Amino acid sequence: MIEIINLTKHLNNKKIISDFSFSANKQECLGLFGENPTVKTALLDVISGSTTPSSGHINIQGFNTKAHPLRAKKLIGYQLHRCVSHPTMSVKEFLDYIAAIRGLRGTEKRAQVDYAATQLELLPVLNAPLEALSIGLKRKVTIAQAILHTPALLLLDEPTEGLAPDQKYKFRSLIQSLTQDMTVIVASRHCDELSELCTRALVIAGDRLVADTPMPDLQRDSRHFQAVTLAADAPLDLLALAVLPGVAGIEEHRHAPGTVTVLAMPGHTIYPHINTLIANRRWKINSLSLEPGRLSDVVHYLSRETPL
Amino acid sequence: MKLLPVIFKRQLVHYAGTPGTYLSIAIFSVLSVALGLHMSAWPEQDSSHLQVFFQLHPWLYLLLIPVLAAQLWSDESNAGFLDLMKTLPITTFEWVIGKFLAAWVVAATALILTFPLVIIANYLGVADNSVIASQFISSWLLAGSYLAVGCFIFTLVRQRTALFILTVGFMLIVSALSYLLDALEHQAPTWAVDSLVSLSPFSRYSAIDNGKFTLRDMLYFISMILAFLAATTVTLNYRHS
Repeated sequence: MIEIINLTKHLNNKKIISDFSFSANKQECLGLFGENPTVKTALLDVISGSTTPSSGHINIQGFNTKAHPLRAKKLIGYQLHRCVSHPTMSVKEFLDYIAAIRGLRGTEKRAQVDYAATQLELLPVLNAPLEALSIGLKRKVTIAQAILHTPALLLLDEPTEGLAPDQKYKFRSLIQSLTQDMTVIVASRHCDELSELCTRALVIAGDRLVADTPMPDLQRDSRHFQAVTLAADAPLDLLALAVLPGVAGIEEHRHAPGTVTVLAMPGHTIYPHINTLIANRRWKINSLSLEPGRLSDVVHYLSRETPL
Repeated sequence: MKLLPVIFKRQLVHYAGTPGTYLSIAIFSVLSVALGLHMSAWPEQDSSHLQVFFQLHPWLYLLLIPVLAAQLWSDESNAGFLDLMKTLPITTFEWVIGKFLAAWVVAATALILTFPLVIIANYLGVADNSVIASQFISSWLLAGSYLAVGCFIFTLVRQRTALFILTVGFMLIVSALSYLLDALEHQAPTWAVDSLVSLSPFSRYSAIDNGKFTLRDMLYFISMILAFLAATTVTLNYRHS
């Protein structure tokens, strides 16, 4: 469990974090969204204890990061945005070293290194030097390093960057399984990727925390919430779509003729109506999809907006 | 303190895996024997102690210590590694001391490699082994204080070349201090010369080296090591916050 009270951080005489307060429990996955990556990284740095806050308190399972820095650090796993690299150390040596610093010894250490390497599919490259790895693999090593000691709080900074799409999928299920026994905070600019993963979203605008809401609520704020996208070869009868009950508007895709997105009014469901219309008119539809809401739009909008 | 052995071990492995370590140790031990034999007729003269060899050590450390000091923080000079270390539950003190001890042990290895000289001295005549032991210890302490300085210089500069050059420069200044003091002897007031003499590791070293193994000179080196390591810890802590 983590508790942040009135946290403020100055960097080079400029306020970059002002008066953040939030708390998170076990089994929660917090998404940290915002336009400015420096603020997100600075927040994670302060939580991890690698930099000290200018004012305010951070309690991790009751340990204040200022009063008990070492105890707090033991509970945290932090995947830094910057990938780790070393000219001579191999992946195994590196993980062993970090595990030893984390206080693991003997069989426990071997088991944990093995566990982390298996989870992130690093077994084939265990003996390769860190520097020879690709960006995606380095990213995985940095994540493996963070979960070695099964921390109570896992901080991830742009974890999916540099990963291939299929790996991203596997990574998401890994984080989901990890969320079962720890608190996870993920900072990312790809909010839509994290929509299924996170239970709560924190949106940062400038130096302020403008939103701390459950993920579904944030998605509900999107004007694409409950919107339906249809694609057909022949041009569709847009008027018929527009007069359906609950339709707020229609967006035509400029680059894909024949593809339209039908927006729903807040609180209305239009998917069944569109389905009936398609069945009645016998339209030949290539694809039909219901949108969960575009998070990136909401985040973009929120982070430009004046603070709540 | 539990993590000190981890850092110590890692640093030793790092030294063992770097060719530069072997090269500089080899150069150090070969040069210290060769130059000593070249400069004086040691076996004929006072072969009871090894002063002819040990008096060169302050100069020969110019070749060994900067190499060791430059490698001391090479792990952390890598992108991301230093940032990572800051997130780990380890105190700066353990981290600095662990690294320093490993480098000091490597310096001890270089010294121990000149051990055959002790056997020769014992074989050739009546060797004064207590004097020889004090010479070894004083040389090791000198190496330690130079290493502590190199450790501190890292906190000021990050580039390896700059680190190397600054360490060499510092050691040259220190080694040349005694010569400077000789030149100043008639110009400067006596108290200034005296206080500078008491600060010069060179004069302290030659005092112990002659077999005058006093607590005062030992404490001088030990306090120098502790002072510079403390300065390193404080500077690193300050930078982290």
